[in-house]
Amino acid sequence: MTHGPGEQVFHALADSTRRTLIGYLSQHETATATELAVDLPVTRQAVAKHLNSLEEAGLVDRRRVGRETRYRLTPRPLTEAMAWMASVGGQWDERLERLRLVLEREGS
Amino acid sequence: MTVRREVFLPGDAERVWEVLTSAERLAEWFACEVELEARPGGEGIFRWGDGSVRHAIVEAVEPVQRFAFLWFEAGEEAAATRVELELEETEEGTRVAVTESAPDGLRASAAGEWSWGLTLLAALPRLHAPARVT
Repeated sequence: MTHGPGEQVFHALADSTRRTLIGYLSQHETATATELAVDLPVTRQAVAKHLNSLEEAGLVDRRRVGRETRYRLTPRPLTEAMAWMASVGGQWDERLERLRLVLEREGS
Repeated sequence: MTVRREVFLPGDAERVWEVLTSAERLAEWFACEVELEARPGGEGIFRWGDGSVRHAIVEAVEPVQRFAFLWFEAGEEAAATRVELELEETEEGTRVAVTESAPDGLRASAAGEWSWGLTLLAALPRLHAPARVT
């Protein structure tokens, strides 16, 4: 049966700015906080705050490269979230299909 | 995070309500064995042929309109999801919307859910590629 991914992941993904950061990081392998702030309509300060939340949820990790700190997406929690949506949605598709068949068989 | 499905069923809302909330009827399509007290605070146990078991605690019962319950595996109430069934009778039958929400009850707007789904989909190819840090 299904387990939901951790609450931290849901919390992290519930915010539209954080989803925007994830969307950006999914298109660019890595980015610095400055690059994110330049390319997105988000202040440098907000980028830093949201990157911290994402890091705590295990959705991004950081590496120091020379003088820069570069962030990248870490796949597992996102994959789990996708798996949760697919699995729970698939269960309901099956249940509702059986329900429809029961009601159709009965006629009205 | 929320998963939502809608289905259009033959029959009026009263008939559909019964199939959604009576233990006997639920055993016809939802699980093999069902015990359920359809009242707020009532408990339910759902068993399947493969040995899996799920528990429910009823939150809301508004006859022929809305039925909501917490949904979890034994001993994992803290990780319960919340399931909500909403019925809407039309001239041709009854529309049922099912919403299952993740533990902390975060319920983004429909638009937010959609764009989030797109974000995740967009992220997928990247996630399966080995990350290079240069």
